[in-house]
Amino acid sequence: MDWQGQKLSEQLMQIMLVAVAVAAYVTGFMIESFRIMMLIYAGGVVLIALITVQNWPLFNRHPLKWLEPSVADEYSKEPPQQQAAAASSGKKKSTKK
Amino acid sequence: MHSFGYRLNALLTLGVTTLALMCAMASFSDNFNHPSPSANVQVMNVNWFHKQSSGNDEVSLTLKISADLQSTFTWNTKQVFAFLAAEYETPGNSLNQISLWDSIIPSKERAKFTIHTKNKYRLIDQGSNLRGKEFNLTLHWHVMPKTGKMFADKIVMTGYRLPVDYR
Repeated sequence: MDWQGQKLSEQLMQIMLVAVAVAAYVTGFMIESFRIMMLIYAGGVVLIALITVQNWPLFNRHPLKWLEPSVADEYSKEPPQQQAAAASSGKKKSTKK
Repeated sequence: MHSFGYRLNALLTLGVTTLALMCAMASFSDNFNHPSPSANVQVMNVNWFHKQSSGNDEVSLTLKISADLQSTFTWNTKQVFAFLAAEYETPGNSLNQISLWDSIIPSKERAKFTIHTKNKYRLIDQGSNLRGKEFNLTLHWHVMPKTGKMFADKIVMTGYRLPVDYR
């Protein structure tokens, strides 16, 4: 999941869970059945798990934009091997001083 | 949020916490129930009444117990435990309570009943004080919940008296 997707998943999970809990309690209280309250709640939790825990495509609508390899090359004008050699030669110069 | 396991854990934790809150609310709702129970007990017969070789009095009774405990049931009631106790005073003990009969009532429909029975548990005194003794019969009940607090109450019925002589 991307960052936006994680936030969406968490919010969905919390809101749906509270809604399911309220619906279960009110229904159970009205029809005087403790069993019905537990069944609605358990069913609701399973449903929420299926929707928010699994990495569905809808949670990947804002994928991270990684930098292109060509853009990175602009910052180093020499290939990595020569870059390492330049760095080590730089170190040598400083110790001589 | 970072992984499947993370999200599943978050859901289950919040789910269990919310469930605990729902159960607390269900138990709290029992406070709004105001039961109106009734009970009546008749001593149909004194089967026998003697002094044991140990020196303690024992009596056997046939009882007709009728009660209506339907109003004590709520949506959060698992069962009602009811028991009948004989209560009397002796020179040695300021209060003697002896359980004569008990029953588990599993549902509201079964909470209104009349039964004829010999006492389920023996009525044996600590000593020899029962001749001509006046006693109360008290029906106690415990409303055992599915979750949360248990409520207990009783009805005291007075005016019972044992025979003056052994039979």
